[in-house]
Amino acid sequence: MALLGAVAAFTVAGLSWSAATAAAVLLAIGIAMAWHGHRQHRALLRLLAGYVSGHEHFGEAVAPVWSGHIEASRAQMESAVASLAGRFSGIVQKLDQAVQASGASSRSVEDADSGIVAVFSKSENALGSVMQSLQQAMSSKAEMLAQVQELNRFIEELQQMAADVAKIAQQTNLLAINAAIEAAHAGETGRGFAVLAQEVRKLSAMSGDTGRRIAEKVSVINAAIVAARHSAEAATQREGETVLESRDAIGAVLDDFRGVTDALVAASEQLKQESIGIKSEVSEALVQLQFQDRVSQIMNHVKANIEGLPEVLQQQRLQFEQQGALQPPQSQALLKALQDSYAMAEEHALHHGKSAPHAAAPQPAEEVTFF
Amino acid sequence: MAKTIMVVDDSASLRQVVGIALKGAGYDVLEGGDGKQALQQLKGQRVHLIISDVNMPNMDGISFVKAVKQLPAYKFTPIVMLTTESADEKKRAGQEAGAKAWMTKPFRPEQLLGVVQKLVLP
Repeated sequence: MALLGAVAAFTVAGLSWSAATAAAVLLAIGIAMAWHGHRQHRALLRLLAGYVSGHEHFGEAVAPVWSGHIEASRAQMESAVASLAGRFSGIVQKLDQAVQASGASSRSVEDADSGIVAVFSKSENALGSVMQSLQQAMSSKAEMLAQVQELNRFIEELQQMAADVAKIAQQTNLLAINAAIEAAHAGETGRGFAVLAQEVRKLSAMSGDTGRRIAEKVSVINAAIVAARHSAEAATQREGETVLESRDAIGAVLDDFRGVTDALVAASEQLKQESIGIKSEVSEALVQLQFQDRVSQIMNHVKANIEGLPEVLQQQRLQFEQQGALQPPQSQALLKALQDSYAMAEEHALHHGKSAPHAAAPQPAEEVTFF
Repeated sequence: MAKTIMVVDDSASLRQVVGIALKGAGYDVLEGGDGKQALQQLKGQRVHLIISDVNMPNMDGISFVKAVKQLPAYKFTPIVMLTTESADEKKRAGQEAGAKAWMTKPFRPEQLLGVVQKLVLP
């Protein structure tokens, strides 16, 4: 502006002293203004260079710290979850052993051949057979007693027969006495008959004796039979009571044993159900434990992307220094690199704002691709 | 005799989760932290099936499968890719490398066991 004024002064006023002075002053002012402008421009450039360089330093300073924190968090989480998974593995192994033991226990209870229930059933049958045999033996004894009872009738008949013999002997004796009287009346001719009557009397006495002895023996036999019958009846009663007591005792033992086996069967069934529940819980826990792998991958992707930030800011500085162009940092390249690093569908969805960060954890994929 | 399955994943917790599922079904488990380490561990071992992640440091899962298929002893050993990756191009890469199946995480243990029982060689 001042330079133009100087030229104008020369043109308008010609080469007069005053015009030359004015032109010189204006020229000096112009030169001073140009020098000042140049200095301001250089200062602005320095300021911009410092600003761009500061951007780069900012990126170089914060990116490693951010990245370091992410990596430290990821590593801590990896270590903690690995430790958790290790402990869980130990728990699962012990649970497996417990479930196997309960399976063996169930088999020892429920096995069709050697299980407790089968043994109980066989024992029950065997004891039932024993009771049946005892009751059959009791029935046999009762039959035997009835037969002994029958002997009474024969005893009575024998006693009657003995009485008959005594009666016949008595009558024979009377006949012999009468015969002896008649023989005495007959005198000498009846002497032989008197001897015969005497012999008949002897025979009659002997018959009477025999009849009494038979009656005595029958009485003795009768007494022995009665005593034996009483003993047998008492023994049968005792045995009957014993059989009943045995039956009750066996029944009570079987009831107790049944209670135990029923409880064992119920416990075994409960263990089976519990083991099914435990397996299901373990399966679900194994799905949930996989979150660390997914989160770790996401953190790795973000960390790598943060580590790319200093390069973007460096590019901005180089562009400014080499081309004099000052462009704001470009997010596209960084975001493209981040997108290219994604492995999971949820990362892509989140990138496009389709899923909230607090969305529920993804469910296990139900399909498998076989090649 | 129990079959041996190698689990290759850079996540220790994930290896343990897979290990719990497999050991519970009676398998022996061998672990590798990445493809390179797993290749070293395979030497002198008898492994019936390999389960591998895809994204791992040092050697990724696809390169690992290719390297395993070059080993005469493991040419026919089935390999299952177990990964968070579900993109079709990744699956194709796994198939071309020689994997037999592709499962995405998170997985259900019974589902993994179904795949293992289907593929493990007698």
